[in-house]
Parts: sequence; structure tokens; C-alpha cells
Amino acid sequence: MKRLIVLLCLGVMILPMMAQEIKLTGEMWNRWTVERGKKNVAEEFSIIRNNLSLERGYLGLEPKFSDAVKGRFTVDIFSADLSDGAGLKIKYAYLDFNKLLPIPDMTTTIGLQKVYFGSIYDWDYTLIGKSPTDEYKFANSADYGLTVHGYIPKGWGEYALGLYNGEGYKKYGANLKDNIEPAFLANLRVIPVAGLTLGGSFMLNSSERSDLLDGPGDNPKYNKQTLMDAYLNAAYGPMSLTGEYMTKDVSYPNDSAKDMSANCASVNAVLKLKTLVEKDIDFVVRYDRSDPTDSDEDENIVTAVTGGVNYNFMHDDSSNPAMQLQLNFTNKSNSVKNDKNINSSALMLQLKWRFNNTLKV
Amino acid sequence: MKVRNVIIILAILLIGVSAFAKTNKVVCSGSTTVLPIAQATAEAFMDKNPNVNISIRGGGSGVGIAALQNGTVHIANSSRPMKTKEMNQCRAKGIAPTAYAVALDGIAILTHKSNPVSNLTVKQIKAIYTGAIKNWKDLGGPNLPIVVISRDVASGTFEVFNEKALGGAKVISSALLLASNNAVVTSVADTPGAIGYAGLGYLGDGVKTVSVNNIVPSKATVQNDSYPLSRKLYMYTNGKAKGAVGSYIAFIQSPAGQKIVENEGFVALK
Repeated sequence: MKRLIVLLCLGVMILPMMAQEIKLTGEMWNRWTVERGKKNVAEEFSIIRNNLSLERGYLGLEPKFSDAVKGRFTVDIFSADLSDGAGLKIKYAYLDFNKLLPIPDMTTTIGLQKVYFGSIYDWDYTLIGKSPTDEYKFANSADYGLTVHGYIPKGWGEYALGLYNGEGYKKYGANLKDNIEPAFLANLRVIPVAGLTLGGSFMLNSSERSDLLDGPGDNPKYNKQTLMDAYLNAAYGPMSLTGEYMTKDVSYPNDSAKDMSANCASVNAVLKLKTLVEKDIDFVVRYDRSDPTDSDEDENIVTAVTGGVNYNFMHDDSSNPAMQLQLNFTNKSNSVKNDKNINSSALMLQLKWRFNNTLKV
Repeated sequence: MKVRNVIIILAILLIGVSAFAKTNKVVCSGSTTVLPIAQATAEAFMDKNPNVNISIRGGGSGVGIAALQNGTVHIANSSRPMKTKEMNQCRAKGIAPTAYAVALDGIAILTHKSNPVSNLTVKQIKAIYTGAIKNWKDLGGPNLPIVVISRDVASGTFEVFNEKALGGAKVISSALLLASNNAVVTSVADTPGAIGYAGLGYLGDGVKTVSVNNIVPSKATVQNDSYPLSRKLYMYTNGKAKGAVGSYIAFIQSPAGQKIVENEGFVALK
């Protein structure tokens, strides 16, 4: 493992030296969270969380080797998930080859990269919360794999085909040894008229392996997953509305009693005041309805409503803000209330700041 | 009651959007190559239309197109066609990018006035910019190291040059990257071994223009597209240009506007 880390660090240091130019990027999310809830259904509601954290600390290098070959290496240094110290995750480490296949505007990407499923790959965090695909554990935001993706001419949309590990960027080593089947992905978005985007994603995945490595017999945890997502976005002037519906069917070939399915619908609306009042302020609302286990045994439906406001400032020449102050309030409720399904609400205030600088080597 | 309130708010917003679209203030940003055309034509247009206020900024083609996507400008000036990715981003945000050609241009290859080399092939230009040829003596010139001067990556001129002359190849790492056409012309004029490139509108007496594949960049060779590094210059708007924006662009494309284009050193569309 140490050798791997040393090799990785050397690679990160040497690759940019071969590059034509390097873009240095950074994005920090400083967050204050106050959460109200309870540990079990019998207790009274109280403040169960009140803290400041660095939720994300992305640092990236984007070397450009030529017009046709670019790389990206991004690490996430964060303080949020740990009781002590800081954590480090490698978020992206990939190479883009723009002219590997003779198809205009098509890119072949190899390495730890985005997962082109639903809205997860271009979720812009206008709200503090994650994309529904990520939030409700339908798919991972990044994974190790090989994809071809590109744009349909004249701005008619985009597409992606991918082959991934299927385990996500947080899993490696022993987690992966137990899965010998890759995940397959197809994604298509079309823009029939300016302001209207229609999309769909399909993914076949699996986890664990059918036969146990450390003994005879079938692995009861081996499962096959079919994921589908429908996406719609309508944008007109300062307003945009996004809707997404996704399903996940999981079958256990060695233990069919565990078969399950999940679904989720999410709608969010954004009103951008920038072009109306010359103040870069956004109002956002979101409604999620999730059924994590669509079965007779567990009929709980989770609903989450979020309202928020963003103030964007420190703009560059293109009017992109370098800083964003976000205030969100989320109320999460369960249709079946027990110790596993407890209602909660959270107030979050987040200062997000980003930078990028292109250096000529 | 709640539904009525929502309808009232939406109506106010739509009126606000319409008011923004009909304003007599026109904001443009983008290409530094298109900048002198935009400035000179805006001055002439505002003289005839004192109720219209046109504000123009540079920044590079990419910057202007991003500003159009963000809804903060009415016109994005660009010295290259919009990329498919940019077009997708615009359309997804409800922006319908519409291109208006406003002038023609040739990217002139510049050397110091004292340099006797008068013609380069596209292949030789690529060899110079990728570092395969490093001395003017290899091109029939003096024994003088070549100082390669290029534009920064946000520049549309760089992107067109990179595509048409270099075929997407990597520029030699020792090249000096400058942020404007003027800076390139000045640096080439001050450096005996230098080679650079700039739009025709920026040429002056301090530099020498070499022919490319034995074709001199001129009005005739740019208009008939025989000059290898010729291109169109664009203004992009959200949908069909209307109101003051439409009148301004129509003025640039009119004979009076095209005369100003030529006075600025560029080539008229016809």
C-alpha cells in the first residue's frame, strides 16, 4: 500500500512536468450545521448536532499535455466524517483522450472519473444537499473505469457509455476482490429546444461475488442491480425546474428472499435574480420522495423538503462567482415512525469558495 | 390564495425579464480581436442612436461565451465558432446561441522587420511552434535562435491558430504566451528573432508579415478563403437579435459598418 501511495505521489509530481499547461483548482466548503432530531422514537426532540466543519476541501491539478490529451487529479481533504484529524479521499484521477476515436467531440476517459448517471455528474450544488442519486445511494459520484462520452452536434445534447468497477471511489482493495463483474452504464441527454433537457440513464451493476473465496458454497450477499433514471430540466430566463425519477431493482440469485427495489422522485426549482436586480442571489426549493425498500415489510416513505437562498460574490470576467454563501433548511419526515425512521430537521449555513489558475510549464 | 400569489410572483418575474430584454443598454464582452471592431462600430452607432448605450469589454472569446451563458451580456464577441460543448451548455440553460458573422480576418504570421524570411509553409510554422525548428538558418534566414510568441489559451485567436496551423499539437514550452494581439505585435517588433501571430487589424510598421504557403494575407485572399489562416469573426446573441442589439448588429453588417471594419484593418464580409 505504501509503495502504491509513493508511486501515486511520484506520478502526480512527474505528470504535470510533461504538460503544456497545468490548471490548479481548489474548492472549500466551510459549513455550520444545526440538526434537530432524536436518537429513538420514545425520546423528545432536541438539538443533536451543532458544529462547524470543512465538508469538502477539493484540491486539483489539471495538466494539459496537448490539445488532445488532458488529465485531472483531485483529492478531497475534509474534516467532517472523522472524530479526530482530517480525512483524504482521491476523488478523480483520469486522462481524457479527445481524438482517440474519429468521432467529433467524443472523449475517451480512463481512470477514476465521474459516473454519468442521472444528475450526479453535473450536479452544481445550487442547494447544499447532494444530488438525489447520491443522497439516496442509487449510484456513486465517481468510480474507476473507462468511458466514452461526448456531445451531439449543434448543441442537441450529450451521451456517455461506461464500464466501471461499480463499487464507487471510496472502495478499493479487499472490497474489490469480492466483485469480479464490472458495471455497465449508458446515459443520454437531448435538448430538443433551448431550455428543455430530457435525459435517461441505465446501469447494470453487481456487488460481492457468487461463489465464496474462502470456502465452498454460494455467497448469499451476491446481488445484481438494475438502475434507471429519468431526467427533465426546463430553464427559462431566471427560472429553472429540474425533475428526476430513479429506480433500483436488486436481485439476490443465491437468496431470492432478499430481493428488493427502491425508487425516488426529486424536484427542485431555482430562481436566479442576477439578471433582474443585478444582485447575484438565488432562491431554491427542493422536494424529495424516496422509498428505500419498496416492500410490504417496510412501507416507510421518506420525504424531504428544502428551502434555501444563495448569495454569490467575487465574480470573474465571465460572471462566475468565486464565493457563495448558502443558507438551507431541510425537513425530513418518515411515513412510518420507529427507531430506524426518525424525523429530523437541519439548518445549514455554508461558505463555499473556489479558485483556479492556469500555469504555463 | 397560495396559487394566486404564485401566479402574481411569476407575472412580476416575466415582466422583469421582458424589461431586461428590451433595455437600450447593450453589453458585449469577449474576443480581443473583435474588440476594435466592436468599439469603432459602437461609437458610430451611438452617434446615430444617442438613446442606446453600448458597453464593451474584452477578456477573450471563451470569457464572452461564458458570460452569454450566465446571462450577463447581450453579445458575446468571438474570433472562433462556438464549440459544441459551449453550445450544449447554453441550450441547457435556455440560451439559444445565434451566430452573426461581422467581419473576416486572416491570422498574420509576424517576424521582426530585419528578418529576411518572407514565406513559411504551414508545415514549417508547425515545426517552429512545436520546437522541431529552433533557428532561422534552417529556414533560409540568419543564424538566429527563434523566439516563439503565442497567445494565451483563453484566446480564440490561439484556438484557430492551434487548429489551422498546428493541427492541435502542443506549443513548445519555451514559448512566450501573451494576453493580447497588441502585446504580440509589440514583442515581435522588439525582438529580432521573434515569430508571432495576430489578426490583420493589429498589424503595423514595426513588424513584417510573411506569406503562408506563398499566399499573402490580403482582402482578396481572405475573402476567397485561399489564405490558409483565414477565419470569420462573430457576435453571438441569445436567439435572434432584436431591439437595440439587433439594430447594432445590422449596422455592423451594413455597408457603413463594413467600411468601419475595413478602416480597422479587417476584411469586409463581401
